[in-house]
Amino acid sequence: MTVKPSFNWLRLRRLWRPAPVRRHYDVVIIGGGIHGLATAYYLARAHGIRDVAVLESHYIGFGGSGRNTAIVRANQRTPENVRLYDEGLKLWRTLTDELDFNLMFFNCGTLMLGHSEAAVDGYRMLASTHNLLGVKSEVLDPLQCAELIPGLDISDRPAFPIQAGLYHPPGGVVRHDAVVWGLAKGAAAHGVHIHQGCEVQGIDTDGSRVTGVRTSLGTIRCNRLGIMAGGYSTAVAAMVGIELPIHPLTIQAMVTHPLKPFLHHVFSSGAYHVYANQTLKGEIATGAHMDPQVNYTNDATAYYLKHQAEALVDLMPVLRGVRFMRIWAGLADMTPDMAPIMEGHLRYDDLYLDAGWGYFGFKSGPVAGKYMADYMATGERPEILEAFQLKRFLEGRYSGETAAVMKYGHWD
Amino acid sequence: MTFRLTCPVCGKRDVYEFTFGGQERGPRPEQEELSAEDHFRWMQFRMIPCEPQEEWWYHAQGCGVWFRTTRDPGTNLEVEGDGDGDE
Repeated sequence: MTVKPSFNWLRLRRLWRPAPVRRHYDVVIIGGGIHGLATAYYLARAHGIRDVAVLESHYIGFGGSGRNTAIVRANQRTPENVRLYDEGLKLWRTLTDELDFNLMFFNCGTLMLGHSEAAVDGYRMLASTHNLLGVKSEVLDPLQCAELIPGLDISDRPAFPIQAGLYHPPGGVVRHDAVVWGLAKGAAAHGVHIHQGCEVQGIDTDGSRVTGVRTSLGTIRCNRLGIMAGGYSTAVAAMVGIELPIHPLTIQAMVTHPLKPFLHHVFSSGAYHVYANQTLKGEIATGAHMDPQVNYTNDATAYYLKHQAEALVDLMPVLRGVRFMRIWAGLADMTPDMAPIMEGHLRYDDLYLDAGWGYFGFKSGPVAGKYMADYMATGERPEILEAFQLKRFLEGRYSGETAAVMKYGHWD
Repeated sequence: MTFRLTCPVCGKRDVYEFTFGGQERGPRPEQEELSAEDHFRWMQFRMIPCEPQEEWWYHAQGCGVWFRTTRDPGTNLEVEGDGDGDE
């Protein structure tokens, strides 16, 4: 008996289809990244608001959504942030089911390395905060770190010897492109329009209302507008004369050639400015410093390639001789307190902003979208977003994510 | 892609020799009668359109001079002949 092979599974099926641009939508969202797509998805699915357009100037996931190092975790510093990221972390499993799309959540755990007494004290405090809030974290000694990640050099040889680690088992990596595609699929299935190649060039207002946006595809009117443009949010806000306490800075990342699986956890080190994980393909994906000057480019430089090679090899000497294949950069929208800004009725009645996520925009995407959708649907700020208002910067009440207000350079 | 900036003393040098000093924003507001809110706003809030802006830079790993130049955040590059004659 011969079995006829069935090639139906090879038939390529589009996840979503482009729609014609309507001249008016109830809700327009600027930014086709994870935050914008998630907000649109939850507006349609949870609130039945389907007259929604997501405007993306390049292609969906062009910005930070497709340029981050895909690490997810909830081990933040302050209770209000831990709570938000913890819910975000739990959403990956739910969303994989809900979107019927494999987001490839690899729950491998993250290990943050400490290289000083201050760092060890800080990790004890972090672990206590996490455990108090029901989030798993524990402080490991160097030997335990090496048991988790055998390649680490825990001797006194490195420039910054490892003194302790903060192990956070609920963390891991998620395939960032899959999140973009899955959310686009889910949003489009609920009737959301996604317009790629649609660059916003201006925002129209009338008195206290936002009336629409001027784009490369013509003017699109709307009742409610959300700015969720990641690193470009400051440039978009500037179109309506809104100043923000956000600096858009490039952050660089790179991958090595593929290696046999040997690194089974995400590890990071503040002192070395390194975070790394091994992808399913076997590459070591690793991220680095930020460039100091505000910019909207995606320029990568050899300068950080060299830095990253030196830092990685010092921490993990087995990587000596391994080559980098690829380097890229993306934008991080940095706030002075390393916490985001989620705001409604921003100067105009119907203007909403979800920005300032800095390094944390990827892991927070779906949960931020969920609550921004609640905010935009009802006009009332969800309780969990109380801590992320813009006005905290005008009242000197910073989120305690960092011990001191951030300095990205020698200014401010 | 890295880029170079024009130091008024040393000429065109690699950007990593310099420290970014932020936008040129005129003189610091008078401390008297400055409300806390206005002070916070002045310290932290920025308008950063995607167009050339005048900036301060410090040649930290060079001659140590502070200078102004006009640079476009959209391209990272200096804009020729639009500064205050420093270049």
